[in-house]
Amino acid sequence: MSRLEELLDLDVLRHYDRLALHVRRGMGDRPGDRRFPGRPQASGTEVESYASYTPGDDVRHLDWNALGRLDTLLVRRFTAEREVPIHLLIDCSASMSLPAPDRKHELAVELAMAIGYLGLSSNDAVQVVLLTTRGAHASPVFRQRPGAVELARFLAEATAEGALDLGSVLVDYAGGRSAPGVVVVLSDFMTEVAALAPGVTALRSVKHEVHLVQIVGPGELDPTRDFASGVLRDVESGATHAVQLTAATVAQYETQLAEHFAAVSDLATSAGAGYVRATSDVAVADIVTGDLARLGMVRRR
Amino acid sequence: MSAFGLLNPAGAIALALLVALMALHLWQRPRRTIPVTTLFLWARLPSAPPERRRFRPTALFWLRLAAAAMLIAGLVRPYVEREAAPLDTRSLLLVLDVSASMQTRERGGTRFEIARQRAADALGTLTPNDSVMVVTADNHTHILERWTSDHTRVRRRLETIGPLDTPTNLTPALTLALSEAEARPATRVVVLTDVPLEETGMAPDALASVDYVQIGTTDDNVAIASVTIDVPPFRDAAPTSATVVVRNYAARSHRVVLGAHIDGEAWGWHTLTLEPHAAEHVTLVDPPRDGVLVLELDAKDALAVDNRAVAWVSRGAPLDLLLVSDSRTLTATFAEVVAAIVGSKVEIMSREEYERGEPAGRRVALFDGFVPTRVPPAVNALYVAPPPGSAVCPSAEIIGEAAVIDWVDHPTLSGLRDLQAIVTERTSQLGTPTWGSAIIHAAANGQSFPFLIAGERGSRRLACLAGDLAGPLASSDRLPLLMLTLNVLRWLTEPYDGAPRVIETGVAALAGPGPRAPVAGPDQGTGLLVIGDPPVFLARRAGVYRVGPAGGARRVLANFLDDRESDIGRHQTTIQLAESPMAPARAPAKPREVGWWLYLLGAGFLIAEWATWRRLGGEA
Repeated sequence: MSRLEELLDLDVLRHYDRLALHVRRGMGDRPGDRRFPGRPQASGTEVESYASYTPGDDVRHLDWNALGRLDTLLVRRFTAEREVPIHLLIDCSASMSLPAPDRKHELAVELAMAIGYLGLSSNDAVQVVLLTTRGAHASPVFRQRPGAVELARFLAEATAEGALDLGSVLVDYAGGRSAPGVVVVLSDFMTEVAALAPGVTALRSVKHEVHLVQIVGPGELDPTRDFASGVLRDVESGATHAVQLTAATVAQYETQLAEHFAAVSDLATSAGAGYVRATSDVAVADIVTGDLARLGMVRRR
Repeated sequence: MSAFGLLNPAGAIALALLVALMALHLWQRPRRTIPVTTLFLWARLPSAPPERRRFRPTALFWLRLAAAAMLIAGLVRPYVEREAAPLDTRSLLLVLDVSASMQTRERGGTRFEIARQRAADALGTLTPNDSVMVVTADNHTHILERWTSDHTRVRRRLETIGPLDTPTNLTPALTLALSEAEARPATRVVVLTDVPLEETGMAPDALASVDYVQIGTTDDNVAIASVTIDVPPFRDAAPTSATVVVRNYAARSHRVVLGAHIDGEAWGWHTLTLEPHAAEHVTLVDPPRDGVLVLELDAKDALAVDNRAVAWVSRGAPLDLLLVSDSRTLTATFAEVVAAIVGSKVEIMSREEYERGEPAGRRVALFDGFVPTRVPPAVNALYVAPPPGSAVCPSAEIIGEAAVIDWVDHPTLSGLRDLQAIVTERTSQLGTPTWGSAIIHAAANGQSFPFLIAGERGSRRLACLAGDLAGPLASSDRLPLLMLTLNVLRWLTEPYDGAPRVIETGVAALAGPGPRAPVAGPDQGTGLLVIGDPPVFLARRAGVYRVGPAGGARRVLANFLDDRESDIGRHQTTIQLAESPMAPARAPAKPREVGWWLYLLGAGFLIAEWATWRRLGGEA
């Protein structure tokens, strides 16, 4: 089965048909199926409020019954129905390919496919952005459920390689988009939180609803699985560090890792972003219906 | 039960590879680089010098070690040998004694008939699929039937055979049977004989695995133990005598009558009273005529074959010699010898005189140092020290001192002993002509060659003597050579026609030239075999044979005179059963080599190692 066929596996996608993305912010400019109460607009299907007529208003929306009882010209205002731009940012740095048996990058791609499929099912605008060493590589905007095929085709081409300064790339990406939407960052976030924070803050500053999905491999949680000693080489920077795994060093590492996870989580909390950590040995469907649902990002239709 | 083994133990040398692999791992380990997603988490941990770390084998190392171990294990080619399941067939090997003593009459028939019945009984215990082999033994071993499951055929063959007039030698037959039993699992060997087990010539332990049936209880036998015909050489007037030894092998006394006939004409009757285990000598003198002497015992004992003997009786012929020699010493010696023998004559002439005109009327001629181109008709000849280039007595060269080293049984050597005392100073290195055979061999200069050749050619007897007769023959040192020369002359003096060969049964004797077939005599002539090249007589039945067509036949007298074989006394019939009963036969176990499975396992480990290596990201 090719990568594309895996992504379009109907048996998997069928799990998501009864789910939908829960969006709290990020209303798009184009009409859509998603209603935004409190954001009345001149046209629509559901009356939300009334406003005094001002010249230029569409006379078709005048409430003639109110004019007869109150002798006041009132114009009906409708609940906004817009699409939501969903930005799926995938970390395509080399670190996502390690540890190799853990398939972190593949999980990120499959998660992006699942979230994108949920968005397309809700008639939202879905765009995938591959964060690579050469910058952000954005896909076309996919709409409607049939767009899932093109979405999958784009995702199938994604590879993980090279070094990436995730914080800077996120800052750049936030600066280039004005329309607020939902931004889902899929990464291992194995970088200093201090370097990551500007990116998250930048995304939030342009009114995006941000979710950080941290993908870690079991080999990262338990390094003794793959080695006992050796010279560790940072796959992106090339820096090395000789290590011998003893009980003490493993305990120290686990402490460092836990602190790092807590720091990322704190960053997300402080920035008003959602945060979830997924382990790559868990099935995508379980992550969607489990972790993402608990985060409030996904709910039943 | 299973057995394990190695077909290529030398392959274990490759175990050194494991050490090399471990060394390689240790050598590589300090340089092993492990790519990680980020280093900032690790950078806060203390760095440890790799070379100080302990040996910590990884999964990759174990997989490599397992793959190498499996490949090496396959290299030594281990095998598993499982004992095969029992087969349905068994094997029976019968060793049947057919020597003369098996003709002994016992209460239930002859010993051979009892043995044959026991053989039939053993056959009766077999199932139709079982195999049988029958070996007969007299002083030679014969395979009567090779391995067969046709039991009817075996029974029929057993009915057609009988004991021969030959001595016993069981050792080759037993050796054959034991080797067959070793090669063919679960073979029951049954030996049927009258020879006691301790006299087989085999170690008792070697026969522990056979059923040994020793048949016979009687010792009632009187036999003609030996016959000696005494014919004084060159003396036709002196009486020929025959000395017969009659021996009683029984534990009781016997009164027997010995009768002697020559060609049907009675020579005498002698009544003998033989005490237990005693022998009597009977001397017969003044034979009525020349001819075949038949001696018969009227003994009424258990074994008849040794109650009869045959011999050839003839009067001695006077020496009628033509001596052609230029040696004065030799001619003087022979003049003295001939003068001492009553009735003998010698005509002496030089080589030059002989070549001027051939004398006639002599029975035998001695040519000293030369081989004439022509010899008078009907004259037998002895060529002494023939020079090289002769067609009759081929010789390579004249060499120096030579000594006799070996000889065969032949009438020319009758009555002679200690021939190794013969040493000659000047010797012709003889070759073997087509008309005769080497009777005596001598050696000189590290090689052996014929010293005396005797044979028949063109209706005359010829002999070639390699040693030079020059010098005083009557001295004590050269007396054996003189006696040999006179013995050869006596053989040459005998009438060519009519003198039969006297042989013993079971003993091969050179047949010499002459007709080889047909053979008439006991058992329609089948009792005498004329076989081999050069042909030999091998008698299996005692008696008088005629070999050749009527009118030109030669006679062969075969005697059964074997003191050990005639001593038939046995204490009782003894049966020794094999220590281990005949087990069901099993197919030979086949070693099953498992090396390829180990290779396969090694390949599996290699694939697993490769997959693990890939899974770990192709790290070094």
